[in-house]
Amino acid sequence: MTDPKRVPSTRSTLNRRKFLAAAGAGVAGSSLLTMLDARQAPAQIKGTTLRILQWSHFIPAYDAWYDKFAKEWGDKNGVKVRVDHIPHLEIPARMAAEFAAGAGHDIIYNGSSILTRLYYKNLIDLTDVADAAGKKYGGWIPAAKSLVEVEGRWYGLPIFYILAPMLYRKDLFDANNLKYPDTWELARVAARTMKAKGNPTGIALSQCNDANLMWRSAFFSFGGTEADPSGDHPTIDSKELREFLKFAKALFDEGMTPEVFSWDDASDNRYLASGIACWIHDAISAYRTTEDTNPPVFQNTVLGLEPQGPAGKRVSVAAPNVWMVWKFSKNQQAAKEFLAYLIDNDLEGMVQSRGYNMPYLNDRYKKPMPVIGSDPKLQILQDFPKIVAFYGYPGPSTTPIQEIVNTFVFPDMITKFCRGMALEDAIKWGAGEYRRIYAKHKV
Amino acid sequence: MTVRSSTSGPDAAGARAAVVSAPVAGRARGWLHTQTSRRLAFGYLLLAPAVCYVVLLVGAPFLFSLYLALSDATVGDPAASFVGLENFRAALETDVFYTALRNSIMFTVVAAVFKGFLGSTLAFLLLQPFRGRKFVRGLVVIPFTLPISISVLGWKWMYDSQFSVINWFLSKVGLIGTYGSADWPVWLGQPHLAIAACIAVNVWRNFPFSAIVLLAGFTSVPTEILDAARVDGTNFFQRFRHVVAPMIAPILLIGLLFDTVFTLSDLGVVYLLTQGGPANSTKILPVLAYQVGIQAGALGRGAAIALFLFPLLLPLMILLLRNLKRREY
Repeated sequence: MTDPKRVPSTRSTLNRRKFLAAAGAGVAGSSLLTMLDARQAPAQIKGTTLRILQWSHFIPAYDAWYDKFAKEWGDKNGVKVRVDHIPHLEIPARMAAEFAAGAGHDIIYNGSSILTRLYYKNLIDLTDVADAAGKKYGGWIPAAKSLVEVEGRWYGLPIFYILAPMLYRKDLFDANNLKYPDTWELARVAARTMKAKGNPTGIALSQCNDANLMWRSAFFSFGGTEADPSGDHPTIDSKELREFLKFAKALFDEGMTPEVFSWDDASDNRYLASGIACWIHDAISAYRTTEDTNPPVFQNTVLGLEPQGPAGKRVSVAAPNVWMVWKFSKNQQAAKEFLAYLIDNDLEGMVQSRGYNMPYLNDRYKKPMPVIGSDPKLQILQDFPKIVAFYGYPGPSTTPIQEIVNTFVFPDMITKFCRGMALEDAIKWGAGEYRRIYAKHKV
Repeated sequence: MTVRSSTSGPDAAGARAAVVSAPVAGRARGWLHTQTSRRLAFGYLLLAPAVCYVVLLVGAPFLFSLYLALSDATVGDPAASFVGLENFRAALETDVFYTALRNSIMFTVVAAVFKGFLGSTLAFLLLQPFRGRKFVRGLVVIPFTLPISISVLGWKWMYDSQFSVINWFLSKVGLIGTYGSADWPVWLGQPHLAIAACIAVNVWRNFPFSAIVLLAGFTSVPTEILDAARVDGTNFFQRFRHVVAPMIAPILLIGLLFDTVFTLSDLGVVYLLTQGGPANSTKILPVLAYQVGIQAGALGRGAAIALFLFPLLLPLMILLLRNLKRREY
């Protein structure tokens, strides 16, 4: 597998140049740790400019808070901070352009599509910042390092992830004596029952983020895996995949409509808000949208833990969000200092995003958590960190996985089967694409 | 062979060259001061910006994309190595490439037919004298001038599976059932409807351009010729076929050339409407190249996919330009 190549270790010899380099790095590292610990900006960042590329958050209030937060940090530390917001789908193109130009923002955000392994040679090592934060806040949740770790170093700083729980209509379930969807099978039974009464369910079977995320949660809960723990080999073609695909087709045939083939990331939000859906599997933005647009539906919508697969396994695939700093940045120290400060305030970010941003640090899960800990319907979200996974599970988010995600191989395989392709043909196509893409990324 | 020492050797050659070059250089210096040479130099000077533009903004990116297509470059690793035609072979190995290729050709041809038909109809309508004609002529170019992201997002709403205004209208006039019925079209979810929907947006966006181009052509035809044809007893279609079309052929060909290039390389409409889904049924080459090259970071393979547009376009361009040149003489 390509990324990253293991560099063979060479015999260690110490000469004057190496000694000076090591000593310099040690002094710089300890200064940074002291600085991070004291939360005091060093004099040399004063008068500099820090440029941040940020997505446009689904919760606009978060963006307003973030911009103010960044500016206040800049004012306090004598750094001029400029924050640019763009849609998250445009970030890979912007990142490629900035890399090619060797200029642009200092700090760059990645959402959902995490490109650490593509760019790590051109990103600065943030291990010291991550270690300091981990030490301070009880360590990182297990899934965090799979996003940013390359050759034992962290080239990104996970800031938050977006959960996608079950959101179901308690009133409809109760009225039809349906058990709450704690397993995927119960979810299927509910969808089958409710579709006949005009309240089907829906998970996108199109080329959008939701299709990539939601179906993977079900697949991994069925015991399936995308790659081995090293991330070197695809493991998609399995007995569990066959079981999962049969389930997915049954769920589609019995409980969904062909609308799901056309959905984008917001379609299921609208489906729930319109009062049609009996359940959806999505981020809590759907819940928040409903709160604003259809209060009666909102009052009857309940959040559930990730449904179990046949063997009782629960895996929830979340949308990760990560910060990185370009190596070409002329203000790396200010960038690190700002990110450390941002991590210190991630709970405030969670409040401002109305519970949307879930932190990666263990101590943040002390109950009750802000926003979600005080809302009885959202409290269940506090139990997710142990079951959270990302693309490539149980391996890391490698470059082949990024290509598989960005070309929608996984949801397309399900779509082909649901649209009538024979099971083995769909698997042959999907697993073939996995193998082909992995082979292309080998060096 | 015997070498004649008296006339050979570097010294002799240099002397000969000096003897020959002196009058030549003199003539050249003289020529440089003639009126012709100055006019020629001025002509090249005027041409230089255009040449620089083409070399820098067309030639260089093309050569760079060729270099990328022959390398294993990724977005994060500029140290690429030469892989020959491997990236082209990789593209040809996948079924999605053939789907994208087929869709690209079909998309361009079908859209061109509709744009040609609607564009000429609109152009004829705009030729007729009526009150507010100038205002209406201004209005019709609005779709062409709107930012693509805004106009396509508007269409995305109109094609929405649940809240489609098109479906609402069709349902109200009784052509389809109500929401949830079997005949409720899911515009972006059914493969044939999805590709038709994408083509419709492209046609809607660009047929005003066709109309404006044709209008410019129609207005350039002298009315005396049309009147003469009328006197000869020709009907509308005969006049169009035998008088107007040959006269505006250069404009038509240029319009077709632009439209083909714009449509074949149009990323926006499909990317914003479907991202190539469902299950790649609306995938076109630019979208596939973008997803593989930029989003997935495999620049080399992305560039190779994008370059497949070139052999598609080249014969057409040559054909059209040769035709155009022939008409000039």
